[in-house]
Amino acid sequence: MSAKGASLKGLLLVALLVSHMLLTKEGVTSLPICHSGSANCQLTLEELFDRAVKLSHYIHYLSSEMFNEFDERYAQGRGFIAKAVNSCHTASLTTPEDKEQAQQIHHEDLLNLILGVLRSWNDPLIHLASEVQRMKEAPETILWKAVEIEEQNKRLLEGMEKIVGRVHTGEVENDIHTPWDGLPSLQLDDEDSRLFAFYNLLHCLRRDSHKIDNYLKVLKCRLIHDNNC
Amino acid sequence: DLLQWPQISKCRSPEMETFSCFWTAGNFYNLTVPRILQLLYKKSNEEDWKECPDYITSGQNSCYFNASYTSVWTPYCVQLASKNEVYDKKCFSVDEIVLPDPPVHLNWTLLNTSQTGIHGDIQVRWDPPPTADVRKGWITLEYELQYKEVNETKWKELKPRLSTMVPLYSLKTARDYEIRIRSRQRTSEKFGEFSEILYVSFSQIGIGCDHCTEEVEFPWFLVVVFGVCGLAVTVISIMLSKQPRLKMLIFPPVPVPKIKGIDPDLLKKGKLDEVNSILACHDNYKTQLYSDDLWVEFIELDIEDPDEKNRASDTDRLLSEDHLKSHSCLGGKDDDSGRASCCEPDIPETDFSASDTCDATSDSDQFKKATEKEEDLLCLDRQDNDESLPSLTNTDLHHQHRNTQPESSHLWAPFGDNIESPRLSVHTQISNQNSLTSTDFYAQVSDITPAGRVVLSPGQKSKLGRAQREGCAEQNFTMDNTYFCEADVKKCIAVTPHEESEPRVQEQGYTEDGYFTTESLTTTVANLGASTAAPPSSETPVADYTSIHIVQSPQGLVLNATALPVPDKEFNMSCGYVSTDQLNKIMP
Repeated sequence: MSAKGASLKGLLLVALLVSHMLLTKEGVTSLPICHSGSANCQLTLEELFDRAVKLSHYIHYLSSEMFNEFDERYAQGRGFIAKAVNSCHTASLTTPEDKEQAQQIHHEDLLNLILGVLRSWNDPLIHLASEVQRMKEAPETILWKAVEIEEQNKRLLEGMEKIVGRVHTGEVENDIHTPWDGLPSLQLDDEDSRLFAFYNLLHCLRRDSHKIDNYLKVLKCRLIHDNNC
Repeated sequence: DLLQWPQISKCRSPEMETFSCFWTAGNFYNLTVPRILQLLYKKSNEEDWKECPDYITSGQNSCYFNASYTSVWTPYCVQLASKNEVYDKKCFSVDEIVLPDPPVHLNWTLLNTSQTGIHGDIQVRWDPPPTADVRKGWITLEYELQYKEVNETKWKELKPRLSTMVPLYSLKTARDYEIRIRSRQRTSEKFGEFSEILYVSFSQIGIGCDHCTEEVEFPWFLVVVFGVCGLAVTVISIMLSKQPRLKMLIFPPVPVPKIKGIDPDLLKKGKLDEVNSILACHDNYKTQLYSDDLWVEFIELDIEDPDEKNRASDTDRLLSEDHLKSHSCLGGKDDDSGRASCCEPDIPETDFSASDTCDATSDSDQFKKATEKEEDLLCLDRQDNDESLPSLTNTDLHHQHRNTQPESSHLWAPFGDNIESPRLSVHTQISNQNSLTSTDFYAQVSDITPAGRVVLSPGQKSKLGRAQREGCAEQNFTMDNTYFCEADVKKCIAVTPHEESEPRVQEQGYTEDGYFTTESLTTTVANLGASTAAPPSSETPVADYTSIHIVQSPQGLVLNATALPVPDKEFNMSCGYVSTDQLNKIMP
């Protein structure tokens, strides 16, 4: 009898462990999925923001690293950095450029802008991941970072859409995002031109990911912690 | 002095809301007309260069851009120029040049102390730089703390962290410490400036322990000494211990050379037969024996024989009559010892017929054929000679013999035809032959003729001539290379009638292939001339040698019959074999 009981306990323990492993397999967060006692079993806004901030921070970190590696590997001595003309395809989206503007903008608008930027980067990230593979002797680190960024961006987009669904009170805003037409420049035959196109794209990615990260932190402090982070 | 151009040294934003650029003027400023340096800037989406709005706020040779002029994620370009000349240019965006100010308001509190009061834990707290708007989340900073004892030179670093407090564990209360902190934007690499140094002194709060300065250091010396002693004691005890297993575990024995299957102790003090049997088990050894000495018979010791077990020495065994009697070659006794094939040199036919292992039948046939060519006088049972002789016609024999070989290779020339008859009688009597004993003889080969015959060393004195002249004596009938049975001796058939043929045959004997004994040759020559019948010099010890007729390796040898230097003493030969003790009498 005791052996039976012990084996049942063991089985239950194994089942619990396995379920815990499966549930927490995403390494980003270990936040509980459901609040105990919650009927709807939904994440709170705080938890959603926490996850979003973590994701955005991670994406910015990856893009920053990737840019640095690319700069070291390919851009040295080519004078890319001297070229001030550095227009990103998301420049048409009027995003806050300083703290004052960020504080004055309405949070819903800001959320929409964030969504717009994220959507605008969907397409370029897919192509970046595929085109980077064709680069001459591309380091392994750049390759996997490109793939990782593309994946995490998708997840952040989903999370932001959830947040927007929670926060948004009025009608749904139009989907604002800018198309990207830089694919041909990534496939140029001339190596210099092609590398400059990559450099530009990575630079823009770093900047935009930093923007999103900042905006989300500002929103989080504003909405969750009442400007007292 | 080197000529240095004006250069923009750096541009920096402390909080991502404003930024400043700094430059160096160079050293030719005074040489010519004093130039006025300007800093021009341009945003990426503009076309005109604008001049710096504030040359003062950030100090000399600087340009300060306040919040209205700052757009964070917009690329800027600045250039240092005078009226006509551009000296330096830089492009950047503000989020890339963020270097926060140092943290402020450092303080520490005591968490707890150890029981001895020697060590203590403290908690260090600080505030973020005032310029950085962390509260609204506009900028995220991380901090790195460094500390050291007051009189040390190297700072210990902690990992950068987001929180504005950190505990420090296990500080010595008797010592004073210095702490400093710096910050950076979270995703940047560069740190800002260090904060002011915070001094930590436990004595100020009254827990300093002056008499605790002597620290208990780890007694390395004692540990080493005791460790060595303990190890030595252990080793000695293991070596002296009686437990072989433990000893073998720690000090494994060095393997000594060893032959598989052979016990070295047995070699030292074992009996010879045991050693032989052991060595015989190894095929290598056996083949070696075979290859080295084909001409030596193998003496197989019959261990199973109870009589032999009583023997003390091997030579006795070899030479004992009992051994011979019980020799397995007689009576067809067949066992696996192999002795049966190896022991009868004298009467190969009989042996072969008697013993299975001696390849009797086939060899006997061969032998019959071979004897047509070669002369063999083996153990001739003269008892039957009377019967057999009349059945043979000499002429027939002669014809037979000479037809096959015109130059008869008779070794025992004097016997001429009669040699054949006894031989043939031997043939016919093979099956009837009951050789009682078998004698093992050793024949020493002195030389091998070019023809391939074996010349045995010395051997009997020439009996050739002697035998011819002597006539029939009952005893001491010695013929060269001939075995004679007693009956034969008595009857003295072979000798007399063939004296005439002696010279011829002898000559032939010399020239033909045949088995000679060197001495027999010489003595025969000597005796040719001399007609005196010299008495057999039987006193001289002569080794008895048997010439080899056929080598049937490895079973044995078919030896030619040899004449024995029959001594004066009674020499009873049974069927022409000399028993070993008779041999013993002969030999020295």
